[in-house]
Order: sequence, then structure tokens, then C-alpha cells
Amino acid sequence: MKIREIMTRDLTSVDPDTTVRELISILDKSGLSSIPVVDEDGRVLGIVSERDLIEGAVPGYFELLHGASFLPAVDQFSQKLREIQHDPVSLYMTRNTIKIDEEEDDLAVADLMIHKSLKMLPVVSKDGILVGMLRRIDLLKDLL
Amino acid sequence: MILTVTPNPALDKVYWVDKLNTELETLMTRSTQSMGWAGGKGINISTFLARMGLETVAMGFIAGHTGRVIENRVREAGITTSFVWAEGETRTNVAVIQKGREDRPLVISESGPLISEMALRHFLQSYTRLVRRARWVVFGGSLPPGVPAHFYRELLKIAHEHKVKTAVNASGEALSEALKEKPFLVKPDTRERREICGEPVESDEQIIPVSRRLVSALGIGAVVVSHRVTSDMLITSQEIWDFDAYNVKLVKLVGAEDALLAGMVFQLEKGHSLIDAVEFGMAAATASAESPEQICCDMQCVQQAREKIRRVKLA
Repeated sequence: MKIREIMTRDLTSVDPDTTVRELISILDKSGLSSIPVVDEDGRVLGIVSERDLIEGAVPGYFELLHGASFLPAVDQFSQKLREIQHDPVSLYMTRNTIKIDEEEDDLAVADLMIHKSLKMLPVVSKDGILVGMLRRIDLLKDLL
Repeated sequence: MILTVTPNPALDKVYWVDKLNTELETLMTRSTQSMGWAGGKGINISTFLARMGLETVAMGFIAGHTGRVIENRVREAGITTSFVWAEGETRTNVAVIQKGREDRPLVISESGPLISEMALRHFLQSYTRLVRRARWVVFGGSLPPGVPAHFYRELLKIAHEHKVKTAVNASGEALSEALKEKPFLVKPDTRERREICGEPVESDEQIIPVSRRLVSALGIGAVVVSHRVTSDMLITSQEIWDFDAYNVKLVKLVGAEDALLAGMVFQLEKGHSLIDAVEFGMAAATASAESPEQICCDMQCVQQAREKIRRVKLA
């Protein structure tokens, strides 16, 4: 099966100058945990996630979490988050994100998602424009 | 790609009843059949176009659990979505159809969730991106609270800057504002009030001068007005045509008007004339009115319904 046949046909995305505050609102209401960042033509520039925002507020937080039971005080975290709320999401997005072509085969992409522990990938047309999202559940439904 | 904009989608629930009980001692009416769909004018149009094999993207504001239901159903229909999420709950519209009175359903329509400035801004960003890839934009339905009356006008302006063809099915102030941007095709929604931009359109004698003014004074490409249950009129700067559907076995009217515009856009996209497009649109509307489904998307049924359509040139 081609990826375009099994992907979720959703184009929810944000501009790079969307603020952190707006992004939190969009993620909250849509129920998404990450969202593609696209340019004015719809080309994928990166992906921004809840994790990127936490990292943005408390740099190195996830690394510290692995090494010790480090947790910044909630008021400290809240203060940091307020400081970055008007920043554009382009400052915090993951730029070198993997994108998959809508014409790719499901098995090759399943292999990629398993090996790289990916939950969700943006699907693009041959000219790099966002045409949908591939979630792990899309592949599971397809491969059953 | 055909982009549809439904600012105020709804979960449409339709109940068929033998008789609507109105006596005080009988408070409950049991339905003989009920159906529910993801609805709203633009979504209905996208549903038809997607089933006919055209690429279509549905935009609008959705909220809460009902919004999630709509999003899932729209995607299941093969439509690409680019909805913007809002606070609150997407509306549910209810139609109760009494046996023998299929042309006069009882319709209860909610106003929809309040749309914030932030959601409006996000919508505009997404729309501006998507409209560049569109060949048509179809705008349909009411505006939810918080969305300004000039919303369609602003979106039309952006579409026209990118040379994209446009169609509007709306009413009231939203329509009056939209007309200032000269959409190519206008299908006034006259279900609530038989008027266009404050002027009554009760009879054929009233429809023609009002529609002609829209075409000549405002520069609208074409106006299509439904003036009887199974009759539509096409008014352009050159001609006036009347279309009638005969021997219609009416099951419901919900969705038929949207099937009309969807059929027209489908046919125009395939390169047919405006007159052929209205005839095909009326066939799509007739097939939908004869079906319990929201929109009849069976090409064979639409082609069969086309045999019931008669057209007459009035001027």
C-alpha cells in the first residue's frame, strides 16, 4: 500500500511565527502532542512538540531527568514558560525532521518508524508540501 | 484541489416521525427512523466532491466532542481536513420530518461555539496557505459567534488575489458583505427568510430583478435561486433559465441545496457550461432529496435523476 492511501488526511499545521502561547492553545484543543511547522507554500520546515516547549523552558531538562531525579520547582518552570510565551515556535521546533513521500510503501515506512521509535511523521508530496500525517495507528490498522 | 469553508459545522440529526405529537398529554414522539451526519454546507459539498473522485480540503471551526465526531466522519469520507479548534462545543442541528410533510421539516439550529481572535488568526494563516493550491473555494453557511460579518469578504479577496474561482452559499449580512468581493457564483440561502440582501424574493417576479441587480450592479458571475421546492432559477448577465424537477419522491430536503451547489462545482470543474452545471446540480439535489442519505453520491442515481429535470429559457 502507498502511504497516501493509509495516512491521516489532516493538514493541521502552524506558521514559524506562531507564538508559544498560541501553540499551547492549539495543541490543547486539538488533542495533538506535536504539529508540523510549514512555510507559506505548505512546505514542512520542522515539527514542534510539547517536549520541545518543555525543553525550551528548561533546557537540558530531559537529559537531567535520565541522570538524576531532577525536577525544577513548578513556579520556576511556570516563570520560564511565561518568559518564552511570546517567542515564535521556530525557535524551539525540531528542524531536521524525517518526512515521508506520499508514494512510499507502507512496509518500508513501518520499518523506519519501528527502528527510530517514531510516533508520527509528516507526509509530503513530491515537491515537499504537507499532504497529511502518518501515525503509528495508521500503520497498525493497515498492517492488521 | 477544491477548498470548502464551513465556519459553523454541525452534527446534523434527522428524525422521521409518522406524526409530531402536539397534544399536552403526549409529550413524547417516537421516530420511525433517524440518521446523523457531519454537516454544514461546505462539508456536504466536500462529501459529494470527494465521492466523485475530486481532491477536496474542508476548513472550518470545530470544538469539543461533537467537533471530534465531525472531524472523524469527514476524514472517513475521504476528505482532507484543516479544521481550527475552538473552545466550547460544535453545534448539533435537528430536523424532524413528519410523514406527508417532507417539504416542511421542523428544523432546530444552534448558534455554534464562540470563536476567539486567536482561532480566527490561525484559520486565516491556514487558509492563506491552502488557497494557493486551490482551483475553487466554496464558502457555505452561517458564521458562529465571534466571527465578523466581513469574514467571507476577506477570504474572497485573498482567493481572488490568487485567481481562484469562488462560490458562496450564505444569507443575511455575511452574504451582503461577501457580494462586495464579487464571487463568481452565488447561491443565496433563503431557507430562513425569503429575501436576498433585505429584498423579498417570494415570487418569480421578485427574484428576477433582485438577482439581475446582483449580476449587473455588483458584477457577480451568476446567481442561482431556489424558488420552489423543486425549482431553481439561474440568472447571469446574458440569460435567465428556469429549471424544474418532476416526479420527485421526496424523502427529505436536508442536504439537497448543498448537493445542488456541489453538483454545479463538479460540472464546472469538468469544463461544462453554467447551464449544464445547474442541470447536473439539480439532478444531484433531486437524487439527494429522494435518498435518506445526507447527500446522494451515486453517479448512476444522479444521471437517472437528470431525466427528471426540465429547463426553460426565460430571457
